[in-house]
Amino acid sequence: MVKLAHDELIVLLLAISTMLIVSRIFAELGKRIKLTVVMGELIVGIILGPTILGMACPQLFNYLFPSTGNVPIALDGIFSLSVIMLLFVAGMEVQLPLVFKQGKVAIYTSIFSMIIPFATGFAVAWYFPEIFSVSSEKNTKLLFALFLGTALSISALPVIARILMDMGIFQTNVGMLIIASAMFNDLIGWLIFSLVLSLTNNSGEHMSLGYTVLSIIGFGIFMLTIGKKIIDKTLPWMQTKLSWPGGVLSISLGICLLSAAFTQSINIHAILGAFIAGIAFGDSVHLREQAREIIHQFVTNFFAPLFFVSIGLKVNFITNFDITIVSIILLLAFIGKVLGASLGARLGGMSKNNSLAVGFGMNARGAMEIILGTLALNAGLISPPIFVALVFMALITSLTSGPLMKKFIEKC
Amino acid sequence: MDLSKLKNRPSYPFETIAVALSFSPQCKFILLEAKRIADLLGSTLLLLHIGTKSREKENELEVLMTNAGVNGNLIRVIWMEGEPVDTILKLCKLNIVDLLILGALQKENLLKFYIGSIARNISRKAKCSILLVSKPFVALIELKKIIINGVENPKTIHTLNTALYLANHLKVEEVTIVNEVDVPGLTMAIADDSTAPQAKEIKKNITEVKTENLNALINKCNKGNIIIKDKFIKGKVGYAISKYAKDKQADLLVINSPDTNLTLFDRIFTHDIEYILANLPCNLLIIHSRISSR
Repeated sequence: MVKLAHDELIVLLLAISTMLIVSRIFAELGKRIKLTVVMGELIVGIILGPTILGMACPQLFNYLFPSTGNVPIALDGIFSLSVIMLLFVAGMEVQLPLVFKQGKVAIYTSIFSMIIPFATGFAVAWYFPEIFSVSSEKNTKLLFALFLGTALSISALPVIARILMDMGIFQTNVGMLIIASAMFNDLIGWLIFSLVLSLTNNSGEHMSLGYTVLSIIGFGIFMLTIGKKIIDKTLPWMQTKLSWPGGVLSISLGICLLSAAFTQSINIHAILGAFIAGIAFGDSVHLREQAREIIHQFVTNFFAPLFFVSIGLKVNFITNFDITIVSIILLLAFIGKVLGASLGARLGGMSKNNSLAVGFGMNARGAMEIILGTLALNAGLISPPIFVALVFMALITSLTSGPLMKKFIEKC
Repeated sequence: MDLSKLKNRPSYPFETIAVALSFSPQCKFILLEAKRIADLLGSTLLLLHIGTKSREKENELEVLMTNAGVNGNLIRVIWMEGEPVDTILKLCKLNIVDLLILGALQKENLLKFYIGSIARNISRKAKCSILLVSKPFVALIELKKIIINGVENPKTIHTLNTALYLANHLKVEEVTIVNEVDVPGLTMAIADDSTAPQAKEIKKNITEVKTENLNALINKCNKGNIIIKDKFIKGKVGYAISKYAKDKQADLLVINSPDTNLTLFDRIFTHDIEYILANLPCNLLIIHSRISSR
């Protein structure tokens, strides 16, 4: 078994502690200027990465984050684990019955806020691939178009939930509609994205589209019916017979990793396994509020900072900043999401102003967009300039969502 | 079918009470209790049986009615053939039934739950109030512990008033209104950038808003002499109240009717009411207020 050398272990520990401590300091400072924690962590990544530290002090940068040896392999393993955990907790908050309970308006909003941004992104990528420097070869173009459509249609549930809470409208009709629709967007978005990633699979094994779609649907149905029932039956036992909260924490994270390993083994990305396991787990009536909070706290305060800081370490945000791509993606993001969600809410019977508030509320992309972009970048599906544009889009949509929503809600 | 008489018809008083007869072992008890409730509320009793009318069944019914003290000359008995759920629902609409009483097993096996039994399928689709009797050993007119779901919904005031109307006639002294606190996405929203006092404050505010809303609801209802207690419980909506009713050994749980017709989909992605139907904690009264919640 290959082991980390004495010095490598020191570097690894230094790198992780630097990321955790500096990101926490920035997150706390960022809160004072209403910046989300994720954005603070992202800025730390940019500071510690090639963009700033790599330029200002390349020796220190290369010491902390070496590109050769065993340290980058160990870090890559930790980052992969982080994204799996993040998707698990994102899944834990998805409650599909909420969409159906909200009725017609939620169904319309969910569908339109998905279809219109998807169609907008897909059409622009398909007809004008040269804008994004994507090859016009049919398969490459199709995968990129599918990716861009998905990237524009996904929402960021954690950011949206926080904005609604800060505005004091979390439990209003508008608030619950936005939450329900964002949950639906997330589920469909991650399913489509898993499909795109499977088709991009560079493991050498050829996957037919039919097999991939069937695998994803089959796995989803199994986990949300039989898997959910098994979890539901065993959770009370776990919470009473095993040590608390260690028992439930280790078993739940174990199930998440098991499910992720399974989807990875059938050539669907591990994130889907984690996400669906999260839905099955989070939907259990027996999951205690305290257990849910502990899992959230553990993941969002340990794995999330590592993952979001790592993003800045991978890409130079200055050299890869392309104003044309950033502007186009930003424009498409605003038009598709605001138009789609507002139209859905309006058709569902909401007033004009409230519909617009729903549109701007759902426009926040935040962490989910960045996770999606990172995975696409790692898979070689997008280039660094497109990734940088997606990060900027996530930042700007998250920052503008609250004030714009407030503007319209106040008019009602 | 002229449904104009049903539209906006108040959920109480129960002018017409129907009993779905299945000739099961429970049937004798259900008929007896339905008769006692109808007498207490001054309601007209209607007996429904879906199946072939035969001399044998008629004799069986006569014995049942005699044992329950039901005078066959004063009540109507409707025999009809057809698919049980749709036929019963149709008869209830045609006869402007206000309350339908049915016997139901406390729990059904998984397959039957997904396919749906007659009693549960009627509960999912009915356009009148439904009383599912799962505890035949508890006399309905001696109910003591009544729990009412105080969910925030325009229908709840009607449900509350109907439950109180029934409780007043049954001489119940105290009812408990239960409000379930489950805010989707809350854990995620406060997980990363809230300090412990902030998180506590957020949760406290949510409960305060719910308390205000519940108090406003209680002030609007026709309490009579009944003492109303309120209780907040955390947990998944539907499941939490069901568990609470079971733990408290309630005699009757009163809830709103579902906002839409429930389908198999609502059993897979479990709807609130399906948690209760999956394992009845006690007798269940589903109030159909005949107004839309939206």
